[in-house]
Amino acid sequence: MKRPFILILVSIFLLPLVVRPAIASEIWIFAIFGLGLNLLLGYTGLLSFGQSTFFGSAAYVAGWLLKFYGINAFLALGIGVGVGAASAALVGYLCVQRSGLYFIMLTFALNQLFYFTAYQWTSVTGGEDGMPGIPRPVLLGIDFKDPLVYYAFVSVLFLISLYAMKRIVESPLGKILQAIRENEIRAEAVGYNVPRFKLLAFIIGGAFSGLAGVLYAMLFGIVPLEAISFVFSGNVVFATLIGGSGSLYGPVIGSFVFIWLSESVSTLWARWPLLLGMAFVIVVLFLRGGIVEAWSRFWLWRSSKQKN
Amino acid sequence: MSFVAAQILNGIATGMLYALMGLGLSLITGILNIPNFAHGALFAVGAYLLASAANEIGNFWIALVVAPLGVALLGLAIEYVGIRRLYAVGHDYQLLFTFGLALILSESIILIWGPVGYSYLPPPILRGGLDLGFTFYPKYRLFVMVMAGLLVLVTWLFLEKTRYGAIMRAGIENKEMVSLLGIDIHKLFTVAFALGAYLAGIAGALTVPIRGVNPGMGVDMLGIAFVVVALGGLGNLLGAIAAGLIIGVAQALVAAYWTEASTVVIYAVMAAVLLVRPQGLFGIR
Amino acid sequence: MAILETKKLTKAFGALTAVNDVSLAVEAGTLHSIIGPNGAGKTTLFNLLTGTFPPSSGRILYDGRDITGTPASRIAHLGLARSYQRTTVFPAFSLLDNVWTAAFATGNSWSGLMWRRTDRYPEVTERARQALSDVGLSSKSNQLAREISHGEHRQLELAIALAAAPRVLLLDEPAAGLSPDETRKMVALVRALKGRYTIVLIEHKMDIIMSVSDRISVMHFGSLIAEGTPEEIQKNPEVRRAYLGGVAA
Repeated sequence: MKRPFILILVSIFLLPLVVRPAIASEIWIFAIFGLGLNLLLGYTGLLSFGQSTFFGSAAYVAGWLLKFYGINAFLALGIGVGVGAASAALVGYLCVQRSGLYFIMLTFALNQLFYFTAYQWTSVTGGEDGMPGIPRPVLLGIDFKDPLVYYAFVSVLFLISLYAMKRIVESPLGKILQAIRENEIRAEAVGYNVPRFKLLAFIIGGAFSGLAGVLYAMLFGIVPLEAISFVFSGNVVFATLIGGSGSLYGPVIGSFVFIWLSESVSTLWARWPLLLGMAFVIVVLFLRGGIVEAWSRFWLWRSSKQKN
Repeated sequence: MSFVAAQILNGIATGMLYALMGLGLSLITGILNIPNFAHGALFAVGAYLLASAANEIGNFWIALVVAPLGVALLGLAIEYVGIRRLYAVGHDYQLLFTFGLALILSESIILIWGPVGYSYLPPPILRGGLDLGFTFYPKYRLFVMVMAGLLVLVTWLFLEKTRYGAIMRAGIENKEMVSLLGIDIHKLFTVAFALGAYLAGIAGALTVPIRGVNPGMGVDMLGIAFVVVALGGLGNLLGAIAAGLIIGVAQALVAAYWTEASTVVIYAVMAAVLLVRPQGLFGIR
Repeated sequence: MAILETKKLTKAFGALTAVNDVSLAVEAGTLHSIIGPNGAGKTTLFNLLTGTFPPSSGRILYDGRDITGTPASRIAHLGLARSYQRTTVFPAFSLLDNVWTAAFATGNSWSGLMWRRTDRYPEVTERARQALSDVGLSSKSNQLAREISHGEHRQLELAIALAAAPRVLLLDEPAAGLSPDETRKMVALVRALKGRYTIVLIEHKMDIIMSVSDRISVMHFGSLIAEGTPEEIQKNPEVRRAYLGGVAA
């Protein structure tokens, strides 16, 4: 239990030495986003393909307030968490009443509703150009314009998020959500109102997404339209799956690998989504179970070699 | 008045195309029990194949036959090489696979045909309009309505009146039973995927003279196909038509007065319907 | 006094009437069995009693209160718990977690739901351990549910129902698919629970029914055709007719 935590701490300190602070920050921001998704995907067994709805909505609302009203950073983060949770409550209310493939399709379709709203509402969101000019505020005399200072800020928030998620999945709620994943009918029969718990998972996941969204907007100073599009929804699902949805740390590892790779490759070739698509296909056909499982299989294989 | 009538006709024409998309998706999703995120990309491939084929051959009609068949073949290959291996895994990996395919297909479209879309004129015989009494209406759109109607009818006849169609319907209801009957379920899956791909392909092909082609058309259509299935129900033919027409007409009417909202309205209508009827139009889970 | 009662309960699925005009009264503290050939509507009756779906008509009374149409997730909180004919547990959970989840649902308070660690609920854990020990699975409490034998699954099934601390236990063929030896153990278990709980039992195996029941109701094609003590049922000609060439004798 302690080892992953130490590894993460070490990574937090070493990462800025290896990559630009912006990318390092993005990794932990995306990890927060992934933590929120994984409560749905890994723990509750709900495949939401619309997480960018909450990420993007929070980023736009908090970004707008930061830009035009100069609100303080903590307020912005709080509002982001609130907007993420509220939009997740709306979307979740419609989605949890359906199950299986309908559920997946609904999360995507409602994602499109928010996307096209942002796309057309250019006077507020900037449409395709995004919403630029989001300031990184000064807080308690600390200037977050310094990329390393901002990185430290993001890291702390990531650690808080990780701790919060750890508490949630180890609480009765975590157990109940997993019970719903394992056997929805029995969970209902032993006395849990399944749709209501699914909705609760949605709202919590949305809150994490919202936090990530605001941090993202402050990191790059802009809310790009992609932040509320299916692209981001797909990326976070992919990152979580390659990390392994079966564990708390899966999405963290996944986001580490995903952001690092995408930031290195996407600058090299404009047709990067083609490679991404190929990566999806290859992972699905040959590397199911994610990095965590591939890693443990590798160790099993090595130790069996050593015995021989 | 005639303006509103023309808009409603427009809505019916696009609504029928939406219904075709939803119907194809519904076959694939219902029978194979997979989320097909590549359905929109198949639509786009159908459109581009038509535009290319029509330019190369110089004949719209031949292209209209060839392009959807090309998409059906592509569907056949996708099922045979990839999806077949994924029936036992969770929806998460199936989704990732079809989403990956969608990315590959739409990026390939950009690599082959370029990032900028273009328009394409209907064949000479279908250019111009027809006087319907209350309005003067483009011939090609009337043709699309008839074609889409015919395709839905043929699909319905296939599903309801042929033995293989009956097996397919049974496959949506109860897969165990189908395999108990001694039917090769893998072949059924392959055929269903190819058929669904064909319907997506021909919907794409028919769209070209109205909307032209552009690389983003697939994703836009994917969401719409999901809306049709979510409202109409899996494997529900009437549901697909009703849902397609509702959102098609709603979109056309809103577009007439508030162009910016014409896409949002599709999803807003869906959300509104689901608020009142969480289980969709016909109450199927 | 009847703790659980149905009045003219009917459930139709399209043209098929699975439960037809069933009026039944289960006395508190008794073991009341429901028998009948396959497809007689016994499991459907359980599904109605536990709110899996609402009846087409008729009423369900529990402790004098009308609970018709109460959703499944509320039923457990009223003190009605069921086991399933086909094992439905939480496969990736340990046995303890399986019963813990059920015990927590009906616990006194859900405080700390999102924050407190699950091992900081001593009374819930105690109740869960007690349920496991009642069915004789204490020694396997840390094994995963998907790794135990079929017989143990049936025991776990029962433990999940017990963990809810119910007043009424609805047991749907607890001995389904068990070997003669395992069946004997299960019968002993049910007998041990008798008196502590009001039990409604669905069972096919006649010898079990006759040896443990206080009262027996016989269902046939969705309707109740007879009710009485085991002796009365054994002598009933209509029951004999229904079972002639039926599943058990």
